[in-house]
Amino acid sequence: MATETGEPAEPTGEEFGDRLLGWRRTEELLRIGLYGTAALMMLFLWMPLLVIIFLSFTQSPNILPFEGFTLRHYTRIPGEPDLGGSVLTSFGIATASAAIATVIGVLASFALTRYRFKFQELYRTFGIVPMIIPGVILGVGLRFYFQFLLPIGPGVPATVLTHSLYGLPFVLLIVTARLYTFDESLEEAARDLGADPLTTFRDVTFPVVAPAIGAGFMFAWIRSFEDYIRALFVSGVDVTPLTQWMFGKITKASAENLNLLNSVSTLIVIAIGIGLALAMNLGNVTGYVAGTPGEDDEE
Amino acid sequence: MGAPKRDETTRARIVRVLSGRRAGLGVTALPGAVWIGLLLLAPLAFMTAVSFVSRDPLTYQIVWEPTAEGYRDLFVGGTNEYALGPVTYKATAFEKALLLSYGIAAVATALCLLLAFPLAYVMTKLDGWAFKATIYLVLLPFFTMYLVRAYSWRLIFGNSGVLNQTATALGFGQVGAFEYGVTAIVVGLTHAYFPYMLVTLFASLDGLDFSLVEAARDLGASRVDVLRDLIVPLTLPGIIGGSLFVFVPSVGAFITPHILGLGKVQMIGILIERRAIGAASNAPAAAAASAVVVLTIVVALLGVFRYVELDEMGGA
Repeated sequence: MATETGEPAEPTGEEFGDRLLGWRRTEELLRIGLYGTAALMMLFLWMPLLVIIFLSFTQSPNILPFEGFTLRHYTRIPGEPDLGGSVLTSFGIATASAAIATVIGVLASFALTRYRFKFQELYRTFGIVPMIIPGVILGVGLRFYFQFLLPIGPGVPATVLTHSLYGLPFVLLIVTARLYTFDESLEEAARDLGADPLTTFRDVTFPVVAPAIGAGFMFAWIRSFEDYIRALFVSGVDVTPLTQWMFGKITKASAENLNLLNSVSTLIVIAIGIGLALAMNLGNVTGYVAGTPGEDDEE
Repeated sequence: MGAPKRDETTRARIVRVLSGRRAGLGVTALPGAVWIGLLLLAPLAFMTAVSFVSRDPLTYQIVWEPTAEGYRDLFVGGTNEYALGPVTYKATAFEKALLLSYGIAAVATALCLLLAFPLAYVMTKLDGWAFKATIYLVLLPFFTMYLVRAYSWRLIFGNSGVLNQTATALGFGQVGAFEYGVTAIVVGLTHAYFPYMLVTLFASLDGLDFSLVEAARDLGASRVDVLRDLIVPLTLPGIIGGSLFVFVPSVGAFITPHILGLGKVQMIGILIERRAIGAASNAPAAAAASAVVVLTIVVALLGVFRYVELDEMGGA
């Protein structure tokens, strides 16, 4: 960046056009540099996933020597013991915990946006803490708490409770962002026209907030589905979510295990890709993620 | 006539109760408060309590008597000499893990910030189809399971990883930096938390009024001036928020150091896990280590909150 600025300096200064050209060239170079860096970053984000997808179709789990393509690793998936069960376990835990997180998170979002109360900032802060507190620490804290203080042993209920707390901030952030931009005069108008609060909520507020609630649920669901460390501490030995099944295969890395992992991971990437595409078509996921209203968000 | 009428009155009663400010606030705020109180604050408080008891070395049962043994283990127990470049220092395993975790997390955060800024900036310039496609391509890795992403770097690093195989094929032989270890962990963490930084920075940059940049340029400010005096100060909440979202989880990371460090790199998350459920199980020691980490994070947060509010930081 620094090199091209001094370059077109013509000491006489006779040709203004030259400087303009130089300026435009600098501008152009900067633009290329910026977009090039951005493209490299996208490559950085994608390279590991592309490697997994590529290796899931190759004979050996190593890239070299290349031994040709196969679908063999995919045909093994249905016969794999424990895999189906662990997927179901993860699905159940994610759905239950995301549902709880969504109900509590939506209510809390209304409290934060519609009322002024004591300790409001504290409430908001602690509502976001479960998202950033390291998973190991949340896991350890809840493990001892469940183990020594509550009659809840390790298992599915403990995991659902843990993940419902973990998912709460994601719902809270997305739904409060939507409610802050919500035009409350719409509600007032409905009330003036004779609708009672419940009808107003059902016919006016809910339809506007619903996409945000859906996005919050999706976030909470995925965070629960992908969590390994929190579940490790509270799920106990009998419950094996998908992440624990995968972790076992990763730590016992044989060629067979790696091949299987590559194909399972590829299927997960594809499933998430389809889900995300659907969600982006249905609602303005972009806006909720980035916290800015998107183009199809004019209400 | 009877049934619907009673329905009406129940409904009317619900409406009347909910219309009151106290009841409305109670119904909306209370479940969250209960959840946070019972599942976040109480466990952390209890964890702190556990950190002040001890474990019977013979029966492995917890002895519920106040003691600071857990902390003494962390800071006084067997010290070793470690060399950090030319500097050698004495530290316990815990102190070393703490330093290492903070160092790795700081580098990963700095990398995320440097790498995400240009991409976030470009994203604010895109619109329509190009923007949607970019957002999709950014969000997909973001939503892909953390474990899958950590695992994907395991395929890339290591003796028989993609990087080393490529280097060997090109005639460079095995490259030490491509082994599993601190470098691999830093790259893995940067990749894992990069989207948090990107999304937060983008939200901040997108709210920036770019006519200010044009005005500053017209008045003779150089690009560096504009970046330093305008863009960075105005997006500071996003920069700090994104850094926090990367730094705090990185400090306590477990999966990435476990998978990409092959157990040789003892970060704090691994140390705590081993004492909580692993081979060296010792609940008070694990609780004490966690409490120290929480304390350092709280101190860091208090420092940050002197400059920005949490809700200013935006993003997810």
